[in-house]
Amino acid sequence: MDMLTSKIFLRKTKRGKVLKVVREHYLRDDLWCGSDLCKKCNQENSEVLDDAPISSSTLCACPHYVVVDTNVVLHQIDVLESPAWKNVIVLQTVLEETRKRSTNNFKKLKEIMATRKDSFYVFVNEHHKDTYVERKPGESANDRNDRAIRKACSWYQTHLEESQQGREKKKKVQIILLTQDFKNREQALKEGIPAYRVDEYVKSLKDFPDLQEKLAASHSDDNAENREPLFPEHWAPTRIMTGIKSGKLLQGIFHCSRENFLEGSVSVEGQDKSILLQGHASLNRAVDGDIVAVELLPEDKWTSPSGIVLEDQEDQDPGDQIEKEEALLTNSTKGKDLQPTGKIVGIIRRKWRQYCGILLPSVLAEGTRHLFVPAERKIPKIRIETRQAATLSSQKIIVAIDSWPRTSRYPLGHFVRALGNIGDKDTENEVLLLEHDVPHHSFPETVLACLPSMPWMISQEEVNCREDLRNLDICSVDPPGCTDIDDALHFRELSPNLYEIGVHIADVSHFVRPDTALDKEAANRGTTVYLVDRRIDMVPELLSSNLCSLRPDQERLAFSVIWEVTPNAEIKKTRFTKSVIRSRRAYTYAEAQCSIDDPLQQNELAKSLRGLNKLAKIMKKNRMEKGALQLSSPEIRFEVSTETNDPIDVISKPMLDTNSMVEEFMLLANISVAEHIFKHFPECAVLRRHPVPPESNFEPFLKAGKTQGFTLDVSSNKSLAASLDAAVKPDNVYMNTMLRILATRCMMQAVYFSSGTVAQVDFYHYGLAAPIYTHFTSPIRRYADLLVHRLLAVAISADVTYAELLDRKCVQQLCNNLNYRHKMSQYAQRSSVALHTHLFFRHRVQDEDAYVLSVRQNALQVLIPKYGLEGSIYLKEKDEDSKSAFIYNPDEPSQTCDNITIRTFDRIVVQVSLDSKYVQHQKIAVHLVQPQIAGLSVEPIKTVNVSEPTPKKLKSGN
Amino acid sequence: MAEILLSEAEKAFIHHGVQDDLRCDGRTRLDYRPIILETGLVSNASGSSRLRLANSDVLVGVKVELASPLSEKPLEGRLEFFVDCSANATPEFEGRGGEDLANEICRFLQMSYMSGDTINLAELSVLTGQQCWVLYVDILILECGGNLYDTVSLAVKSALYTTQIPSIKVATMDGDQPELELSEDPYDTKRLNTQNVPCLVTLMKIGNHYLVDPTPEEECCSSSGVVVAVSGTKKITAVRKIGSGSLHPESLVSMLKTASEVGTVVNKILMNKLLEEERAGKTQKVGFMR
Repeated sequence: MDMLTSKIFLRKTKRGKVLKVVREHYLRDDLWCGSDLCKKCNQENSEVLDDAPISSSTLCACPHYVVVDTNVVLHQIDVLESPAWKNVIVLQTVLEETRKRSTNNFKKLKEIMATRKDSFYVFVNEHHKDTYVERKPGESANDRNDRAIRKACSWYQTHLEESQQGREKKKKVQIILLTQDFKNREQALKEGIPAYRVDEYVKSLKDFPDLQEKLAASHSDDNAENREPLFPEHWAPTRIMTGIKSGKLLQGIFHCSRENFLEGSVSVEGQDKSILLQGHASLNRAVDGDIVAVELLPEDKWTSPSGIVLEDQEDQDPGDQIEKEEALLTNSTKGKDLQPTGKIVGIIRRKWRQYCGILLPSVLAEGTRHLFVPAERKIPKIRIETRQAATLSSQKIIVAIDSWPRTSRYPLGHFVRALGNIGDKDTENEVLLLEHDVPHHSFPETVLACLPSMPWMISQEEVNCREDLRNLDICSVDPPGCTDIDDALHFRELSPNLYEIGVHIADVSHFVRPDTALDKEAANRGTTVYLVDRRIDMVPELLSSNLCSLRPDQERLAFSVIWEVTPNAEIKKTRFTKSVIRSRRAYTYAEAQCSIDDPLQQNELAKSLRGLNKLAKIMKKNRMEKGALQLSSPEIRFEVSTETNDPIDVISKPMLDTNSMVEEFMLLANISVAEHIFKHFPECAVLRRHPVPPESNFEPFLKAGKTQGFTLDVSSNKSLAASLDAAVKPDNVYMNTMLRILATRCMMQAVYFSSGTVAQVDFYHYGLAAPIYTHFTSPIRRYADLLVHRLLAVAISADVTYAELLDRKCVQQLCNNLNYRHKMSQYAQRSSVALHTHLFFRHRVQDEDAYVLSVRQNALQVLIPKYGLEGSIYLKEKDEDSKSAFIYNPDEPSQTCDNITIRTFDRIVVQVSLDSKYVQHQKIAVHLVQPQIAGLSVEPIKTVNVSEPTPKKLKSGN
Repeated sequence: MAEILLSEAEKAFIHHGVQDDLRCDGRTRLDYRPIILETGLVSNASGSSRLRLANSDVLVGVKVELASPLSEKPLEGRLEFFVDCSANATPEFEGRGGEDLANEICRFLQMSYMSGDTINLAELSVLTGQQCWVLYVDILILECGGNLYDTVSLAVKSALYTTQIPSIKVATMDGDQPELELSEDPYDTKRLNTQNVPCLVTLMKIGNHYLVDPTPEEECCSSSGVVVAVSGTKKITAVRKIGSGSLHPESLVSMLKTASEVGTVVNKILMNKLLEEERAGKTQKVGFMR
């Protein structure tokens, strides 16, 4: 007998190659049968299978051992848990097949076998020389396994027969095969092996009548081997192209819904309404950001977005199966607010990148296929193969997507690298920087070589070609802890009816010369990113915090805008000049406010501040009359412990008069500069515009206003501002702020652009109600300002120009990058705040006031102003029957339970805590405290358990 | 190829033997030496054979792989040959020593398979213009004992005969990516029709006569000869002259004629033997442990 055989099978690799895999398979002759009655096998006497088993089955009265088929394990695993089972032989074939088909059942079976070692015997038939069967040509894998099982059965029969020749026929131990497969049973009976269905057998067990109830509804054995594709196929690119040309298909960017993973939309250029997509088949493997081709469905199939909040929150790996999705989507309210609905027929360009996230804890830790959960909720889970799951499970990792075949529920990817332990602040910071594509490596040598050598002094020639403003009483006003001071102000009376005011901006363009390594690095970074505990500079620290920063009592180069104004804030004259200044003092907002309010302070600086403040108030009033908007978004700041760098308290940023004073003059400077550079460079001026939002953007806002009984006019920014001012409720002071927050969300993104690429009417800045606008006042932290500085310097003949500066295409390209970086840095800042909120709640549970932002079909979205935190309260759990009978009224919208109705903007009390059910995936949990609703609300806790004795506080700078 | 040192007397002896149609090892001019053939030795390959002709020893493995077809032949798959002259065969093959010979054999094989009669490459197409099978034929020369061309061609033919190409159940396009589903039954394969695959016949001219299957000594005595690729249908698909000497047109014509006859017979015998081996079914592999 040949003891070495080989198993041959074909496998398709990730790259589409076909591999022929040959595995050596060794057979043995020293595998024992495990029966106590056996006299042939050379086994020890701790056998599992009894010498004389007692049968309690009426179906088969003689003593017997039971062999189970794979389908029994797959479909009736619950029955096997019963102690009724004794003398069961589990074949290796069955184990392996189960493992392949259902990891969950495999795990359960292993557990059963571990706890009941005395009843289950594993026979390694695949390696036994007499029971191994080779696959025959034309035989399916399933048939082979069935044959292997039967072979093992008949081997046992003959093997045991030999040891019990002397016994009475009735006392001879038999082998019984339990299988649900009709064909297998037929075949077994033909071969002389008694075979039964498991339900037949279980019902015949007279000692265990209860066991029947555990039987799963009988499954006809569905050979689920053939893997049907889960998704429709994508069209060929040529077909898509012709489809788009003929107008049959639409091309656009796919956005996955944040709230419902089965829903997405495609924004098509030039169309007001985006196209709605629902369900796995319609989304057809698109990943957020992909450029896709969409086919519109006929109008009678259009629907509206379902109001439910849905997360793909399987905590386990569902395998390659798509769950029934009708239930998840049917709730969408038909009949009104219909939106064009379509389905994706092809992907034009993938926008896959690398994603940060964590591994989903797998049922089978030693397995190699695992699911990866990205940090970004809009990205689907990714299936990866890794052997180091055990080490990676506690780490944040980066994964790249490779492909998404039709047969796979999730995209396939591979592990790129690990970032560090989950929950580490450094790791999490790294994650959010990477997630938002923020360049945060340290500056390379070539960049540092562009910096001036220290100690640095302003040379006499430099002073000669600049205006010397060192004699003026200039001061700066900034947030506390600010080290990159890029603006300073001065004020003086020229005559009783004429004031001179000046805005002095750090002259960064003097240090960052075009076409140097430093310039390129800054252009790429685009902006400085402020995280809660860290600042990622656009230019090296020597410049940002020292040479360019307008520090008090140090001579610094500046770019100044100087106006002559009347006491009514009427501008008489504007001029721009490069200058040398010496700031007298760096105020914080609060200090400046003090100086203004304190009548005892009569020094020059205090007087200047008062003058500035007076003018600013007039200017602001004028601006508001023109229709500038005062919007709101919750802003908070953390107090951070100096030792651990962990947040220990949260305060909202106060708004002082001085804040708006500085803001007012910066706006004025920006507008003046914008006008001037546009006059000189009509083709390539770097400007900033804020497009008028389309009416449709305001829908949620208008709806919310209506519930509160306000008619809001959004026809222009002026009318919007007026109706926002009018919408005040004395009993709900925060309501107005909420409305303003909602209005902010309806706005478009403001963007930089090159003046040659857009018609002049579109220069309008909607939020500021300014016909033209740019950024000039923060060159240390924004590259756009640096470009504006260069343009202005050329315009006043203080500098020379260069080719790229005057090429509107180059400028537009730079602007596109700046817009992208700006957007990403804002997201990163938001994530940083979220991360710190998270850390903050690590040791806390708190009850807080909250307001309902919107009412959904199955959830309330609430805002907790104290933390600027948003969360969802689920009213109905996905699988459970509704715990509390909430009735959803989609018209208002409102949720009613008994006699409590919750509407948008209602004030409620919630309990905020960190849900650490899964150590891997902690999230902030929000529970309802008030109004009290049985079954849903939780008991209020009024304890604040801060354990750290940390009096030393450091305010993080911004 | 390995140079053999022969004295003038030895050369004359061989010459005379050929003249008298009785060669040193007792063969006539058109006799082959005994051939030992075994297929399916390399279980990892899709098809393989090992062929030993006297002292020439060749191992061939065929590996099938999916690739995109050439743009000029979107309906066809292709064959790629690669010859590796192992330094085991002769010390001269060490380093890059065997490269010239390897390229020579490679090119001639490619040429002889180019004719449409030999093998139907359209059988290898999977998805028109998108995916096709490419058969990588790897030839390893283990020992050189003369008549390498014939040895290699017979081994290649046998390996191709046993090559199992996996069958593909579904072939559709998903976007611009072809999507194929492999049959999960390893026995569900198809085979190429190798009936007409050419055999190479080397004819060496010694004196006024020519002979088949030269030994290294005989190769040394000959100054010219031809290698002829003969398909199963008696067609000549490629010819190549070897050696530095010249050939008279008349003798060339007669050599070609003889070659095509010999080739047909060799082809037939080989096919019969392969069939015989296949019918015998699974037997213990002999391999190199003999």
